[in-house]
Amino acid sequence: MAKSGDISMFTCPYCSTQREGFEALREHILADHKGSLLPEPANRIRLLINGLEHAMNVEPEWTLYHLIHDRLGMTGSKQFCDRGACGSCTVIMDGLPVLSCMVLAIECDGRTIETVEGVARAGHPLIESYVKHHAMQCGYCTPGFVVTSKALLDRNPDPTEGEIREALSGNLCRCGTYPQHIVAVREAARTLLKEKEDSGGER
Amino acid sequence: MKPFAHFNATSMDEAVEILGRYGGRAAVIAGGTDLLGRMKDLVLPSYPETLVNIKTIPGLDAVGEDRGYLKIGALTRLSALASHPAVRAEYSALAEAADRTASPHLRNLGTIGGNLCQDIRCWYYRGPNNRFSCLRKGGGRCYALKGDNRFHSIFGASVEQGCVAVHPSDTAPVLIALDAEVETSKRTMKVMDLFTVRPLRTTVLDPDEILTGVRIPVPSPGTKGAFLKFAQRKSIDFPIVNCAAMLTFDEGVVKEARICLNAVYVTPRRAYAAERALAGRFLDEETAAEAAREAIADARPLQHNAYMVQVARTLVKRALLACGGQGE
Repeated sequence: MAKSGDISMFTCPYCSTQREGFEALREHILADHKGSLLPEPANRIRLLINGLEHAMNVEPEWTLYHLIHDRLGMTGSKQFCDRGACGSCTVIMDGLPVLSCMVLAIECDGRTIETVEGVARAGHPLIESYVKHHAMQCGYCTPGFVVTSKALLDRNPDPTEGEIREALSGNLCRCGTYPQHIVAVREAARTLLKEKEDSGGER
Repeated sequence: MKPFAHFNATSMDEAVEILGRYGGRAAVIAGGTDLLGRMKDLVLPSYPETLVNIKTIPGLDAVGEDRGYLKIGALTRLSALASHPAVRAEYSALAEAADRTASPHLRNLGTIGGNLCQDIRCWYYRGPNNRFSCLRKGGGRCYALKGDNRFHSIFGASVEQGCVAVHPSDTAPVLIALDAEVETSKRTMKVMDLFTVRPLRTTVLDPDEILTGVRIPVPSPGTKGAFLKFAQRKSIDFPIVNCAAMLTFDEGVVKEARICLNAVYVTPRRAYAAERALAGRFLDEETAAEAAREAIADARPLQHNAYMVQVARTLVKRALLACGGQGE
């Protein structure tokens, strides 16, 4: 099961047996080598991604993008410029849209992350309105736009056209679909407001 | 990225100690939006052996009034600064500058300390894999001087080095116009004195010195400020020219003027001649235009950037008029 270079296998420093995962090794040491407890390595992080708790060891040079996309296999976030200029890799960190290519994974301990997968799984009306208004052409930048729009609607449920333009001003689309984004976000906002009204003003 | 070691500092003392131990081979990381880009492209001849994360030091992101000063912690994110009620109300030019920096996503990461300490953006200097070993990297010549210099200095090169790369900060000119000071782990100095032009350096900070915050003296009554930025796009881009002005009025007459341009010279540049031209006079279309002409009187553009002189003149005039435009 373990491939060479797989970081999920851990060797016990006392009896050299292999355990899968850090937790398993920890339990093994507590149970079989009484009284010894491994300290948490400095590169161990715990974070909440789309509501799921993750605990893993990361290398200092991994970006949050690398962790989410290459290690955890959530391929929704896209890498384009890798220099913080395009917005394709946007994720929501503690409620704010940030560029995952410009964040070190090792500095994300205790953070709450939401990716486009989480937005879709929650059945957010943005997905439907993006499809309906075809706010994409090649589609590569779309997840970044959707995630940024989701963060906008979270803090501003009824944004004006100007506010949408401002919020999306860090996302680039080389196909030039910009006008459609405003239409799509406005409609998603209306849908959300209507849902809220129908449920009697309760959240 | 190439591997490096990483420390989460828990206190300023610990961060300084680690930096001291590495002696210039370590780098401080806050927002990281400038540093990581430089590391990914292997821009510099040397690569940091370790990064010291100061975001884990508590209390460095506070904004608040303190004995005649507005204190801004170095880790205050630009987005937080731009939306802070007290900053928006009393220091609107600073809020505007923070809000015009980069893009919304980058402002959610980038800090005020990093905006002051950021490296230059000259495209020769930034060439991947240290393609151009230029003066600013301790190399033999400035490639921009005879090359494509459309975004470079219009006031000549730095005296010692001959480097014509401009300083790209949007917040620095406002802080200078506000007569702000920076606090570091060692000392307090005027924001103007923070900047220097030396190989691999844009600030006077020692390798084991960390910028901890900025403090702005509460402006005297009757002071009005403005910040204007000219860039190719409204979002994301670095300034081609930006300008901050702070005017203190006394019964309609300009008592004191502080004007600072940036992205036009190797460091932010006070327009002293324009300030003198304005002092003691009424602010109107004519005096603003005269002060603006004074501001660029000593400009010496390079082959491709004469247009920046015109932009700088217009920005100074508009910034001055924006100070007098409202109220009273």
